[in-house]
Amino acid sequence: MEDFRWIFQFLGRLHPLIVHFPIGLLVVGLILELVTIGQKRQGLRQGINWMVYIGAISAVIGAIFGWLLRTNDDYLGELVDLHQNMGITTGALAGITAFLLMRKMKNKASSYIPYRIGLTLTVVCLIIAGHLGTNLTHGEDFLSSVLPGNTHSPDDGKAALLFAELNQLDSLTTSRKDQLNLEVRKIFAHNCYQCHSENKKKGELVLENKAGVYKGGKGGPIIVFGKPAQSELYRRIALSPNHEDVMPKKGKVLKNSEIALIRLWIESGAHWSDQTLKLFPEAPLALSKPDLPVNSTEKHPVDRLINSYFERNAIEWPEVVDDKTFIRRVYLDIIGLLPEPKDIDQFVVDPDPDKRSNLIDTLLGDSTNYTEHWLSFWNDLLRNDYTGTGFITGGRKQITDWLYTSLKENKPYNLMVKELVNPTEDSEGFIKGIEWRGVVNSSQRTEMQAAQNIGQSLLGINVKCASCHNSFVSNLTLEQSYGFASIFADSVLELNRCDKPMGKMAEVNFLYPELGNIAAKNKKERLSNLSEVMVKPENGRLYRTITNRFWQRLMGRGIVEPVDEMDNATWDGVLLDWLAADFLDSGYDLKHLLKMIMTSKGYQLPSVSYHDVAEIKNNFIFHGPTLRRMSAEEFSDAVSQVITPMYAAVAYSPTGELPASRIWHRELKFERDVLPEPGKRYFRRTFSLANRPIQSATVLISVDHSYILYINGKNIAQGADWKKVDKLEVSKYLSAGKNCIAIEGFNEGSIANPAGISFAMKIEYDNENDIIINADTNWKSTAVEPHKGWVGIGFNDGDWAKVRDYGTSNWGNLVNFSFDGPAGKFARASLVSQHPFMKALGRPSRENVTTTRDDQATLLQALELTNGAFFNQVLAEGADAWLVHYGANGQRIIEALYQRSLGRNPTKSEREIMLGVLGGQPNREALQDVFWATLNLPEFQFIN
Amino acid sequence: MVMETQNLRRDFIKKMTAASIAASATTIPLTSFLSSCTPRFPKIPATADTVILLWMAGGMAHTETFDPKAYVPYKKGVESKRVLSTFPKVPTVVDGLDFSQGLASIGGVMDKGAIIHSYKSADLGHILHTRHQYHWHTCYEPPQSVQAPHIGAWIAKELGPANPVIPPFIAMGQRFTVGEAEELKAFHSAGFLGSEFGPFLIPDPSGGLDSVRPPQGMSLKRFEARFKLYKELANQNKIMEAGSDYQRESLMRSMEQSYRLLHSPEAKVFDLSQEPKEVYDTYNTGRFGLGCLMAKRLAMNGARFISVSTEYEPFLGWDTHENGHTRTVKMKELIDRPIAQLIIDLEKSGHLDRTLIILASEFSRDAIMEGRPGELVQDQVDQPDIIENEKFYGMHRHFTNGSSILMWGGGIKKGLVYGKTADERPCASIENPVVIDQVHQTIYHALGIPPETHYTIEGRPFYTTPDGMGKPVLDLFG
Repeated sequence: MEDFRWIFQFLGRLHPLIVHFPIGLLVVGLILELVTIGQKRQGLRQGINWMVYIGAISAVIGAIFGWLLRTNDDYLGELVDLHQNMGITTGALAGITAFLLMRKMKNKASSYIPYRIGLTLTVVCLIIAGHLGTNLTHGEDFLSSVLPGNTHSPDDGKAALLFAELNQLDSLTTSRKDQLNLEVRKIFAHNCYQCHSENKKKGELVLENKAGVYKGGKGGPIIVFGKPAQSELYRRIALSPNHEDVMPKKGKVLKNSEIALIRLWIESGAHWSDQTLKLFPEAPLALSKPDLPVNSTEKHPVDRLINSYFERNAIEWPEVVDDKTFIRRVYLDIIGLLPEPKDIDQFVVDPDPDKRSNLIDTLLGDSTNYTEHWLSFWNDLLRNDYTGTGFITGGRKQITDWLYTSLKENKPYNLMVKELVNPTEDSEGFIKGIEWRGVVNSSQRTEMQAAQNIGQSLLGINVKCASCHNSFVSNLTLEQSYGFASIFADSVLELNRCDKPMGKMAEVNFLYPELGNIAAKNKKERLSNLSEVMVKPENGRLYRTITNRFWQRLMGRGIVEPVDEMDNATWDGVLLDWLAADFLDSGYDLKHLLKMIMTSKGYQLPSVSYHDVAEIKNNFIFHGPTLRRMSAEEFSDAVSQVITPMYAAVAYSPTGELPASRIWHRELKFERDVLPEPGKRYFRRTFSLANRPIQSATVLISVDHSYILYINGKNIAQGADWKKVDKLEVSKYLSAGKNCIAIEGFNEGSIANPAGISFAMKIEYDNENDIIINADTNWKSTAVEPHKGWVGIGFNDGDWAKVRDYGTSNWGNLVNFSFDGPAGKFARASLVSQHPFMKALGRPSRENVTTTRDDQATLLQALELTNGAFFNQVLAEGADAWLVHYGANGQRIIEALYQRSLGRNPTKSEREIMLGVLGGQPNREALQDVFWATLNLPEFQFIN
Repeated sequence: MVMETQNLRRDFIKKMTAASIAASATTIPLTSFLSSCTPRFPKIPATADTVILLWMAGGMAHTETFDPKAYVPYKKGVESKRVLSTFPKVPTVVDGLDFSQGLASIGGVMDKGAIIHSYKSADLGHILHTRHQYHWHTCYEPPQSVQAPHIGAWIAKELGPANPVIPPFIAMGQRFTVGEAEELKAFHSAGFLGSEFGPFLIPDPSGGLDSVRPPQGMSLKRFEARFKLYKELANQNKIMEAGSDYQRESLMRSMEQSYRLLHSPEAKVFDLSQEPKEVYDTYNTGRFGLGCLMAKRLAMNGARFISVSTEYEPFLGWDTHENGHTRTVKMKELIDRPIAQLIIDLEKSGHLDRTLIILASEFSRDAIMEGRPGELVQDQVDQPDIIENEKFYGMHRHFTNGSSILMWGGGIKKGLVYGKTADERPCASIENPVVIDQVHQTIYHALGIPPETHYTIEGRPFYTTPDGMGKPVLDLFG
């Protein structure tokens, strides 16, 4: 059987030939049939009959051959199925039609109508089958690609323009020839490298370099200098698009202007330029401060530049926003908090003409809040987080301390960059990268991560793409990125192409060698060199990149987008350069840069609405800031301010005072430490006190999930909310000699889950050292219910076990766990470790550098806001707190809610709607619902 | 992120409703004819609509479960190197296929599915379970320069929900408060596809209902009134007057959508108390068993991708660093009954044909070998040469060169045994080795997702399997 398979295969391959018979015969047959309707042109009858018979037979054969083709050659997919079904249907219908015709001819049928219907259906199916067949052989966009509006070739115009320009010249100068050659090479790169590169060499032809192009391929040279017509290269690209030999390939050919350009190039001697081909636009590196427009109507430098931009684009200056909008905007942008109602009132009535600029100064001066707001931006940018992969095996390090301090003291940006690139112990986490245990892909070794992250975060260039192979989004080569990565390596790196070693060693280099030499004998010196070279004023790229990021943060859209691709076109390069140069002149002062942008009228324009995100991304025209949505952190902090603290604990405590342990009974399974099972556990700690008068004794306690506290046998307190710190004065329960603290702890839930006790007691004496007792492993515990006296001093806990310190990572450090300082503080969201609520609202997991967040709402976010247990719990706690604070007074609550959340009074109709729900004497549920509705309003969630 | 494949199928269906009604009246498959003009990648016919992944977290030894070797009973003083299996073999319903003792129920449904004996996990050097799990679930080895999506997220993105009310990607049974939690979170993620396609997490299936109904303690009436208040206020709001804005609209739209979801009667699907007591009891071997029960309910009601994990917690579950034999007995009790019942129930209800069920683990275990033959992998387990204590009787080291994957339904051949491992140590894959790219592409193939599906992220194409090179194992399909 196998021996005869070739016959079927052969017949199958005749399918494309055979199918043209029914197409020709049946279609023409139908046309002729139509013109005979009404007994006309009877002379055609015999001819039509033959056409239909032969057409039907060939349709059936075509279908059979098609089936053979499918079975014997590998054709798969839905399109093939469809084509096959249509083909078989066509064959069947054709047969039926022929049969109907025969019956009529033999006068067994009375009318032509059934036959004519059959023929029409056959032809319809035939056309569909034919179309599907075309799609199979020529691609699905074969037809649609030539329809108007379907040409997708941005540089079509460029090739055509260059051709038009060069073609009219009698002879070409060398520089013109260079230009022509580079354009031709660009065409090669985009269309031919795929097969004809050093790596693939199809037909032994390489079009990547001079030698390859001049040498030609398997069939000999491809260029006859000066003679396109005799050049194989030209012949192949100029063939008809459906010719088997056409290049790049059948169905996909070069554009006419590209073919003309290559012809012109060969004609003019196929000159090869010494310049390196740069396929992608590159922004200049150097930076000089542009002159400001003179005689401008505007005073502020940024506005003078925007004014010119507006003039060029025929845009009128809109009025700047009112004071209330302004104050909300600057508060959120500088310190990430909402202004208090009294601050708003004060600001609005302030007659000082400089009040806006003064407010900006004041807020920039609030360095703690500034830091705790901007920390999120820098954490995203520098891939720094409190939790995440890698920490578990020591493969990652935080730079939080360094970052917090740098922001707090407004460290000059050049210094920050130097310390990131050539790090101290505190800042080494950035270039250290993230390491998982085991071997990694060569493009993700930590040295390469350092290169990628410095490239992306600090220089706005994509090194990732060139870490596997030469980039196809920029001019970066694999060698360059390995050279860059080598700076961070202890030994010489071997180049790997797509994770395969190339047997070639990297040579240390920086992406921009013109800035200076990095090479040195060891890593330490190289890092030092790099840090010096990177921050040079000549490295305009470094300063443009951060300037553009700040602009993007404040205005919603960068001067260059995406903000990580700084080679892209600007919408106003002079503006970017001036701001970057001014930033440099200011002594690399990040706050100066913020102030320069924020004091401009440009920043204070009303926010602009867009129907579609594409309008912001492409062909952008600046009219003012875009409408921005609050970030996860901004939203959280705003809720904490307005309703009730959302988070009680931070992952990073700037002052470092908060306790770092929670204790619980040690639980084992198969001799391993595991999470505690639900249930009651009993804890004891005994200690002795000297016989001295105690001035005060304060206990701080928080237990997950609940506790009963005993001191010396007396029940002192209980609590069931680990987020609240219970602060108790207990001196009267203590006595000289032996004392005992006993805690009955309870772990809720149906499965094992984290539980822990945070405890501290400070006993103060007059003029003597305080005594502090913490939750530590001096405590003892048991899981077995002890007999009654266990809370007393005399109880023997000799058989109890030492507790285990569970750390605080599951809870964080409670900001109110402090003997002094005001209670009721909330944890700034930027200091809280990644939380499911913030994650849903778009805070990224910082496994990679993230420089922009998606601010479009998603269903998952809305679900979290609508039925998320966490958010609803916050609302419930908030409602209780408000009812205590404001009393059950609907009017008062509505006023307060509007002022605190939206910075204004409710309108009459808003007041009515609210009152309709709250009533004069609101209950907690109604209040929760009113909170929920307000916090989800666009007016609250957007920075207008 | 530049999108190169849209959710064409869904969009298309929406737009074409009228046309398809018209077309269904004729013999011409008009919709299909037109749709062939739209997608960029050639579509392939789907044999499954839903996937259930039964995840044996922690490294399940193939020699102790679905691919038993010579049984060496425990005896004080037995040599470790002699121990190939610690259980006797028991025949399954399929001729020539034996399982290890304790898996009789699953053995009884093997005529409805296939077993791959020859899965080879990646060799990622020094073992870190979550790193291998990341690799299994995303097909990419961490770390990556962009966040790789979980296979469930790819499927959610490409196919969308089968029932608009059931989230397309649901992951059950894994808590994120255990050791290696951050690493677990790293792959329970939609990565660059966007959180919209991320997993809907249900750590404890018995409380699944809470995640899809109005907030706890809120009556339906109050829930409706609250939303009405919101709409009224939003319409009053001055910020809404400034013409249309994509951001504002996306916020209002998503709020509306979530309201509809939470308001829908389908939420009952998540309520296990709706099951008759005897069914509940059959499944209830613990959280994993209840996860299987929930998976059954979800699969019958239009979920896309469901995973049920035995849960990874370092050194627990299948991660047997000691007491391997006794702990494996427990693990078998946990999985055997509910998995078999799931297959039987789905077959009975007619859903098995279109539901692809996969049982897999990140790698296998062995008494001696760490990693794979010929690779130097750091030992992580102390295993004595002579076993003097039953604690050391079992498979305690991590073996990456052969493990079993079971598949049922969704077009998978019935009663098929694919691939083979050696009967003597190392019990490595010696016939038809299968790697993760193939496993993913096999799943995508069953769902009709073309192998070259990819998106451009940061200027680079990112494929479902690295470089789009993975190929499905077509021999597995019936």
